Amino acid sequence: MLDSECAAFIETGVSISLAACGPDRMPSMSRGLGCKVVDGGQQISIFLRRSQSAELLANIRDSSRVANVFSLPSSNRTLQLKGSDARIVPFAAEDLRIIERHVADFVLEVVPLGMSEAVVRAILAYPPDDLVAVTYSPAAAFSQTPGPKAGEPLAAP
Amino acid sequence: MTVRLDTIRECLEGVIPGHIATCDTEGMPNLAYLSQVQFIDNEHVALSYQFFNRTRQNILAGSPVRLLLTSHLTGAQYRLTLAYLRTETAGPLFEQMKAKLAGIASHEGMSEVFRLRGSDVYRLIDIEQVTGATLALPPPVVNYLTALRRTTGRLAGCDSLARLLETALDCLGSEFAIDHVMLLMHDEGRGRLYTLASRGYPESGIGSEIPVGAGIIGICARERIPIRIGFMTSEYAYGRSIRRSVEADGQGDSLETAIPLPGLPEAGSQMAIPITAFDRLLGVLYVENVADLHFGYDDEDALVAFAAQLGLAMHHHQQTEEQAEDAPPAEVPAVPLAGPSLLVRHFAANDSVFLDDDYLIKGVAGAILWTLLSDFVERRRTSFTNKGLRVDPRIRLPGVSDNLEARLVLLQRRLEERAAGIHLAKTGRGRFSLAVDRPLQLISS
Repeated sequence: MLDSECAAFIETGVSISLAACGPDRMPSMSRGLGCKVVDGGQQISIFLRRSQSAELLANIRDSSRVANVFSLPSSNRTLQLKGSDARIVPFAAEDLRIIERHVADFVLEVVPLGMSEAVVRAILAYPPDDLVAVTYSPAAAFSQTPGPKAGEPLAAP
Repeated sequence: MTVRLDTIRECLEGVIPGHIATCDTEGMPNLAYLSQVQFIDNEHVALSYQFFNRTRQNILAGSPVRLLLTSHLTGAQYRLTLAYLRTETAGPLFEQMKAKLAGIASHEGMSEVFRLRGSDVYRLIDIEQVTGATLALPPPVVNYLTALRRTTGRLAGCDSLARLLETALDCLGSEFAIDHVMLLMHDEGRGRLYTLASRGYPESGIGSEIPVGAGIIGICARERIPIRIGFMTSEYAYGRSIRRSVEADGQGDSLETAIPLPGLPEAGSQMAIPITAFDRLLGVLYVENVADLHFGYDDEDALVAFAAQLGLAMHHHQQTEEQAEDAPPAEVPAVPLAGPSLLVRHFAANDSVFLDDDYLIKGVAGAILWTLLSDFVERRRTSFTNKGLRVDPRIRLPGVSDNLEARLVLLQRRLEERAAGIHLAKTGRGRFSLAVDRPLQLISS
């Protein structure tokens, strides 16, 4: 499971992306719109737009394996989680507030770095009926903050 | 492929970092961030290889590659499918990416950490635009096609190299909205570049030198490829790096260091473009801006096209001045001069010339000036030809390919800047005249 510090980190204004692979090893990927730590870090849900993620969702359905990266633009701190039991679950309407808060946090994070707020909001636009969740148990965690130690495993989650 | 890569190159600059996804042999995916994606052409890109990490292992183990890139201008997202081809560890592509990475590393506070080990070249298989709302692309500051068209017309109308250089730099300001520019000529024999014209600096720096290979300008000259850096980095600061590299190769004495290089003290963005004609490097065009990420791929393309035009025109003027020769004007004998004399001191060891103890110039331009002034004092001669100088044993030009006309422009400008009372003026193709305001006293040592 994820320690409380990492669990708190992934719920800040980080950029999120999720990847899986097809049977031919072709990777697929999409940008996440927010995440939820479930059961004190036992599980994580990533929120995606279904229309942007057809290939990714198909790969997850087939393989259940995911790689998930969280990066805070202001510090470059980057964390990668991996899981082998990913499944697609319907989006729960009460989680909309999590996405709203994540988008607000991300805007606060990147606008001071010079990004246009309108562009950020376009990238993270979320028509509610297009949302879907992918839930998995993080089985491995790696620091990917740029540098020679990038890729080293953190203490087993 | 429905999207052409050259229409979405703002996504490659890393303003919004790209993501790279790969897959290991067991079928486990991996994600990482990209420092930079280098555009090669519409079918090829290069990614920087900095660390031997999971991404690298997967690629070497034959993983297909997907990138997710995002435009910071429109918010559009694109998924690129790539196939790894090869890794380059030297040469033009490597140097372009190394310079760019140095800027990124410095910006991220990672100068000690980021080091380019290789440029991984990929074939682009597909670009898919991700569904989603996008913003309209903001209008560009400059319409480069119009700028190029107008500049081409103006350059074609120039009747001398000096006029051509002035017009070229004027056009960069008025048509391309570029405010800080240097134009340096290549001294092939000495492996140097010397500043012949500049705009946007308190001092022109005309005559200042940079060794080929040093700093962004020197590397551009050595590799003959545009180098563009989007963030301030001391690694490519041409001012500082020069002395170090010259001292290292033991040629510190021969480099022109008495004339300081112009330049912005803190340039966020820098770009150096080689000027070539018929496979020869004629010089380098250097532009800079205080803002980060000021120059993009389109600016680079526009200046490469501009430099190609300029190079051909420079070549033409050099040829014209040496091959054609207008009929000499009636020789006007120099009038006797009055007033206090100007002391001109020449040091044969390096052909340096001092006017009243103030340094003026050295090297080939110094030898030319000394020859002209000697003929003037001994024979009252005021009319000269490029052809005559070319064969004059006193001048020792580095080679037939050397741009003599550019040396004359350099000398003329240094004299004008010093307002020393010595003037050179063109009197026709391949001809010029010398005028002197004060009596001269020549001393050679």
